[in-house]
Parts: sequence; C-alpha cells; structure tokens
Amino acid sequence: MDRPAAGASYQRFPRVRIRELRDDYAKFELRDTDASMANALRRVMIAEVPTVAIDLVEIEVNSSVLNDEFIAHRLGLIPLTSAAAMQMRFSRDCDACDGDGSCEYCSVEFHLAARAESDQTLEVTSNDLRSNDPKVCPVDQARAYQQALSGSDFDPNTGDQRGILIVKLRRGQELRLRAIARKGIGKDHAKWSPAATVTFMYEPDIRINEELMETLTLDEKRSWVESSPTKVFAIDPITEQVRVADAEEYTYDDEVIKKAEAMGKPGLVEINAKEDSFIFTVETTGAITAYELIMNAITVLRQKLDAVRLQDDDGDLGELDAHLGGP
Amino acid sequence: MGYSGYDIEDAIVMNKSSLDRGFGRCIAMKKHTITKENYGDGLSDRIAKPQRDTNGVLVMQNMQALDEDGIAAPGQIIRNHDVYVNKQIPTNTDRRVADTNDKLSIIKCIIRHTRRPEVGDKFSSRHGQKGVCGTIVQQEDFPFSERGICPDLIMNPHGFLSRMTIGKMIELIGGKAGLSCDRFHYGSAFGEPSGNADKVEDISNTLIKHGFSYNGKDFLYLGILGHPLEAYIFMGPIYYQKLKHMVLDKMHARASGPRVLLTRQPTQGRSRDGGLRLGEMERDCLIASGASMLIFERLMLSSDPYQVQVCRKCGLLGYYNHKLKAAYCSMCKNGENMAKMRLPYACKLLFQELQSMNVVPRLKIG
Repeated sequence: MDRPAAGASYQRFPRVRIRELRDDYAKFELRDTDASMANALRRVMIAEVPTVAIDLVEIEVNSSVLNDEFIAHRLGLIPLTSAAAMQMRFSRDCDACDGDGSCEYCSVEFHLAARAESDQTLEVTSNDLRSNDPKVCPVDQARAYQQALSGSDFDPNTGDQRGILIVKLRRGQELRLRAIARKGIGKDHAKWSPAATVTFMYEPDIRINEELMETLTLDEKRSWVESSPTKVFAIDPITEQVRVADAEEYTYDDEVIKKAEAMGKPGLVEINAKEDSFIFTVETTGAITAYELIMNAITVLRQKLDAVRLQDDDGDLGELDAHLGGP
Repeated sequence: MGYSGYDIEDAIVMNKSSLDRGFGRCIAMKKHTITKENYGDGLSDRIAKPQRDTNGVLVMQNMQALDEDGIAAPGQIIRNHDVYVNKQIPTNTDRRVADTNDKLSIIKCIIRHTRRPEVGDKFSSRHGQKGVCGTIVQQEDFPFSERGICPDLIMNPHGFLSRMTIGKMIELIGGKAGLSCDRFHYGSAFGEPSGNADKVEDISNTLIKHGFSYNGKDFLYLGILGHPLEAYIFMGPIYYQKLKHMVLDKMHARASGPRVLLTRQPTQGRSRDGGLRLGEMERDCLIASGASMLIFERLMLSSDPYQVQVCRKCGLLGYYNHKLKAAYCSMCKNGENMAKMRLPYACKLLFQELQSMNVVPRLKIG
C-alpha cells in the first residue's frame, strides 16, 4: 500500500444534508467521508453521549408485588429529559460532593409516594415521580407539560400519555422511595444511552443496463421488478421502461441480480455501494432531541480526538509515528 | 454467524445493552437452615442479639443486618461476611444429648439474589440448543441492520448441522413473519395436510411483503468497523430461557485446604473446598514437555508429601524412633542401612495395604 509522506494531509471535507428532522427522529446524509467516520459517529451516539438516569434508589416502603431491586431497575430505565446533561458533572469527578448525590452539580433527586386506597388497581407510572429540578423529569411528563403550554387539550389519562408503568398496586399496598439521578454514558449502562436507533446504510449506486433491459418482454420486466423484496424498481406505465424508483429501498439482498442470472441475463443490473456516502437514521429515547444527539456526539468525538492529539509526544503515539516511518 | 470466536462449541455471544435492559435476569432464592442444639444440663446453642456499646453503636460491623433478636430482619441487605443468624455455641460441646424434637429449634433463612447474566451462565432455546454465554459485547460493537435492528444474542450456526434442529429455524422465520404481519403463526411440522400450519412458503411470502428476504437472512453491518458483513445473517426472534446452571454457584478454586484422612490428598469437589485434579492427560502433557520438576511439584509436593525411612537392605519401610533419635527397620531388626526419602503418602499407604495382603513391595535404592 502506498503511504503518503509524513505530514501529508488526509483531511476530507464531509458534507451533511438533513432530510428530515423531528424531535426524536432524524434522517440525514453524510457524504465525502469514510466508513470509519460514519461508524465512529454512530458508536459515539449509542455509547458516549451523556444523559441523566436514575442511578441510586432508596426505598422507604415497598409492599408491592415487585421486589426492591426490580423496581430500582425499572426506574433506571425511564428516560429523563437530559438537555442539561452535557453541562452536568459526572458524580465521580464532582468535587462539590462525595458522590452520594447530595449536590446540584451532579445529581437530581426524585421522590415517589403512592398508596392504593381504593379497590381499583393503582398504576404507579413515571408521572408519579416528583423531581426537585424542573429541567430533569421523565420525558412523558415533559411532553405533557409542553402540550399543556401550547394549549392543546390535555388529558393525562388518554392513550400514551399515561406515563411509563413502574408497578401496579393493589388496595393497601404502598410504594415510597427517594431516587437520585446522575449523569452517565451508554457504555456504562444502556439506561444512559440516548439512542433508540442509530444506524446507517451505504448509499447504493444502481445502474441498469438499458440495452439488455430492452430485450425483456413486459411480463419478464414485471417479474424481474417484483423479485426484489423492497420496491427498488418500478415500470414506467407509459414508456414501459424499468426505472429505479427508490434506490435506498435496496437492502443489498442480491435478489434482483440472482433473478437476472436465472433469466439468463447476467449483467442486467449493476449495484454497488458508494463507499463514501451514508444515510443515517437516528431515533432517540426522548431524553434529548435527535438534533442534540447528533451535535453532542460530534462534540464528544472532538473531545476524544483532542485527547489523542494532546497526548504526550513521547507516549505511544511517538512509537506509532516511528513505526509508520515518521520523522 | 460466527462472531469473534467466543461462540465456538455452542457458546453464545450476548449484547450488553440487552442485559442492562433486563434480558436474562433472574432471582435466585437460597434457603439456609440453622439448627439450635441442646447439650444437656441446660446447655444449648443460643441466638444472641448483636452487641452494642454504650452509645448503641454496633461493636461488630458485620452485624448490621441483625435485628434485636439476633436474626436478620426481613428485607435486610446482606453483604459479604455479614452475619444473618448470630448463633453462639458453648465451648464445651462434648456431652451432646440425643435430640428430643421439642427441644430442637431450627431457623430457616431465605436469601434472595437478583442475578444478571454473566460469562459462563447457561441459556437454551426451546429446541434443546443449549449453550453457555461465551462473551458479552457492547451494543456498539454488535452487528446492526440498516433498519437499526441489533440482535440480543448471537448463536454459532455450526450448532445446526449435526443436531438438525429444523424447528428452531422455523421458529425464527415464522416468528419474524409473525411479528411483521402482527399475527400468530402456527409452526407445526405435522399440520400441513389440514392446511392450518403456516408453511415455510407462506411465511416467506409474508417476509417478502414486509421487505425482508424470503429466506430470513438479513444484510448486516459490522458494528466495530462499519463495514458490511460478507454473509447474510439468519436473524429473527427465538424464545430463550436461562437455565439454572450459573457460574456463581459453580465457580471454585483453592490453594491449600482440607485433606482426606485416609490418603492425605486434597479433598474432591466444590462443597468440600476440594483441589483441582491434575489428571492423567495433563500429566501426559507435562511428560511430553519434559517438565519433570513441575510434575514432581504437582503430584507430590502440592498433594501428599510424606517422609519415610527405607531399609536399603530389605527394601521395606521402617520407622523413626524418636526416643533413640534413629531410624529402625523392623524386618532386619536393626537400624544400620536406613535411608530417608520422600514419597506420596498414598504410595506408602499402597505398600502397607499390599503387605497386609501378603504381597511384598520392595524399594531398591541405588
């Protein structure tokens, strides 16, 4: 492999085009970069963008059917609004407290008290959690609050606004606890991962051999188009020509290529993945918006790169440089 | 799909995020029984309340779980080395009285432990395809599809070839079709004449309708590098169970510990804090490597070394007379040709047992 002389720049200038951006969903294109960059971004989004989640639970009374650690686990998995998480401190680096969650810089306290008084089963949900910091609360509480502000009809008991179920209580059962939420990253525990889905695909480059295609009858074309499990190709109703309807629907399943070979027309279509073009799909848990997730991921990635760059020159990198035939 | 080599020999690779979210968690309840015994003369074991100083602070930190009756209160957290029944036994327990049932009391404690899967825990699908967890991998390193699907678990496909568990493949492909078309599938291999069972053909059609490949295989990207995987991966839902064989109950190691009375060799088995046997095959390896000193150490020094007095003339074992401070051969009736040597106690035992059967083993010392 040719290696450029030391000091040569590998710098590329990636381009991003946002296709769709909603609160908890984003779809964008990332072009002019490698799989390494795209994958680094994906990995950081899943594992290293910080959020806030319940980490310590002190149970005062629990006469429910679920045991203490079960409830603590369920509480931990509730997504909390974490827009402020980037500015918060990790409790292990916090010098204002000794990590017991007593300080405002690294922790948020929650209280929950529920007791079933009536014969009806009481559902304890994330809506029963009371936060001492209005910035950090369960995401569905935050959403309900937003809706109430915007003036739309708000009924806390309809549809998906009931909150996330923690436990069901029978008459006389009680649950009372204090919980401390802390900042963390998805690498330590999945509860801190803001990403529900982060994935990318290589953009496919589809070339139909028009000459060969014209040798097919309409029925043959139709059966060939239908051999793809996803709707990648379509037949133009007027010209009766096969065209690419949606290249991104292609799942690299090779079905159309196999079909073409089975029809005795190898080379009917040529499909390659563009090596430097990626289509990202990002969905969040609601802890932060998809936009924040992407931007925070870039920030975290830069911080990591800075850490590498600022490392002592005599360190491992110096050896690596020598190994690569550097100065 | 084989992944990372940690899934060979039926091992499975698990996704750490899935485990964080609760996959494979279990609650293990263990019962411990403590008996309170009587020794006659009003002497008996007693359950004492935890000792406190004048300020009411516990004297022993490991008694924090105890209630005022000397038994752990319900719902207490028990940490390592904690006392949960503070039983005290009299120093003189020689006169143990035959148990009269009414005087005997038993305390039973049930200890609950929530366990998350760890490397070495055993899992199984419903087709007898069992395997232990070989490694736990971060979600970002796991393969993912362009829909964003990331598996919970990876099983090595070599498990299918000799075992021919077609049912598992049908469960996978049927389950995948079932959840994409929101309908239960009937996966019987025998119901086809009735027309009630979903044939693989129908299932494949459903899969195609929902944008999957007809054969249940998906195109995945490698999570570590972001490159596409070279093969299509057979991926779908399978019901998995955790089996009760968990490493936490089985792990065991020992340096020194109890020995068997008869042979003076280390005891056997985890429950007796036993040693780990260096067996015949391991011995063969060491012989092949020429590691004679290592064999000597393992088979004798670390097991049952014993010093004997051997008569160089008759080759039988003598004894050491501590009064005369000299070795003596009871066969030759003198102590002139004695030699000191070490051999495994089991070897000395064998010689004596042979002698008792009128077989005379003689040691020849050069």
